[in-house]
Amino acid sequence: MSFEYFISILKPMLTGAQMTLLLFFITIVVSVPLGFVVMLAQKSAFKPLSWLAHTFVYVMRGTPLLLQLIVVCFGLPVLPGIGEYLVLDRFTAASIAFILNYAAYFAEIFRGGVLAIDKGQYEAARVLGLNKFQTLIKIVIPQMFRIALPSLANESITLMKDTALIYAVAVPELLHYAQTAVNRDLNFFPFVVAGAIYLLLTAILTFIFKLLERKFSFE
Amino acid sequence: MAIIKIDGLKKSFGQNEVLKNITFSVEKNEVVAVIGPSGSGKSTMLRSLVHLEEINGGSIKIGGAYLAENGKYPKAKEIQKITAKTGMVFQHFNLFPHFSVRENLEMAPKLVKKMAKADLHRMSDDYLLKVGLSDKADAMPGSLSGGQKQRVAIARALMMRPEVLLFDEPTSALDPELTGEVLNVMKDLAKDDMTMIVVTHEMGFAKEVADRVVFMDGGEIVEQGTPAQIFDNPQHPRTQAFLSKNYQ
Repeated sequence: MSFEYFISILKPMLTGAQMTLLLFFITIVVSVPLGFVVMLAQKSAFKPLSWLAHTFVYVMRGTPLLLQLIVVCFGLPVLPGIGEYLVLDRFTAASIAFILNYAAYFAEIFRGGVLAIDKGQYEAARVLGLNKFQTLIKIVIPQMFRIALPSLANESITLMKDTALIYAVAVPELLHYAQTAVNRDLNFFPFVVAGAIYLLLTAILTFIFKLLERKFSFE
Repeated sequence: MAIIKIDGLKKSFGQNEVLKNITFSVEKNEVVAVIGPSGSGKSTMLRSLVHLEEINGGSIKIGGAYLAENGKYPKAKEIQKITAKTGMVFQHFNLFPHFSVRENLEMAPKLVKKMAKADLHRMSDDYLLKVGLSDKADAMPGSLSGGQKQRVAIARALMMRPEVLLFDEPTSALDPELTGEVLNVMKDLAKDDMTMIVVTHEMGFAKEVADRVVFMDGGEIVEQGTPAQIFDNPQHPRTQAFLSKNYQ
């Protein structure tokens, strides 16, 4: 196997990796704040809102991401009446499915983070005269974020690998190009390259989260 | 003039009546020690004074205004105004772990009183000096000993300039060799005429520093008086039984 062959398969796979990364970043950037909002809605004293948020999380966590992906890509456009307005390009549709799915998981991670905050923190804030909003911004969010960081890191690594699911709706990403090369050349090697690229990406992620954990440690 | 007046205070958690009928008052500049066995309602009584517990009956008057009148509370804004007169020091310190010592002190007056930065700085320097922690201004709470944490918590409470400072077992979570540094800070405050209510198991402190000692048991005030009366000549058998176990 020549170096030229390696370069020839690497090029399209790096193009695919761009798609993988694009989906990853769009999902992270939108679903982390959305997950926070869903968590607040879950905790809301307004029951219909809380119920809606809990149902959302239940459905999103209780059904396969692959099903959600296929529903947004192929299911919505065949809905009677409104279907014709829901025809999205594949990548947009895939992004929506990923964002909704991951928002549900992030909501649960944040909820766990909030639950882990000592109740003495709220009491101290109250006795010092902070109102609910000030307590949320100054006390709850920073501590929740710190507690949630290891779980966020874990979930982000899962997301990086889950991006391969868009293979199923024919958006050309990293795995797609690897599979194409394997089929064309009857050679196992492109899968090794694909695996190595995923490992590299998750290693970078792990490193970034380690830095974040150190930066936000309370020492 | 009484700065805190409690009249017929009642509080239940479900079927469990923790405060049965508490009536007492605290004068300005007075140091009151509240002692009694675990579960006697001491902490609940103290917490109801800062509205961390809602009472079911009776009245609480702080600085002439009703925090609760016959078990009924005014609007949230009014409650906020009244509880601003009281500060609280907790058993487990409850410092904010993600803020430095200085930020712990300055956050509330900055947010609540909108104080200017220079004033805040001067004030936090003063109070850190007072509790003997000037060198720890930039430390994070996680790096402090328990005694240091509690002294920071006292300084943080003082930053809001309370008229009354409440202590909920301030040394109970500390190693025995660290209680002294906290008690010394509290003694200094007493000398400065700070009005204080201290729920404590430190009988030595109660005897030495308090103007008045209140003994609670089973949700009631059983006996109160000067430290000499309570410690040297307790009248009630329950007081005698408690002191025989907890005070030589």
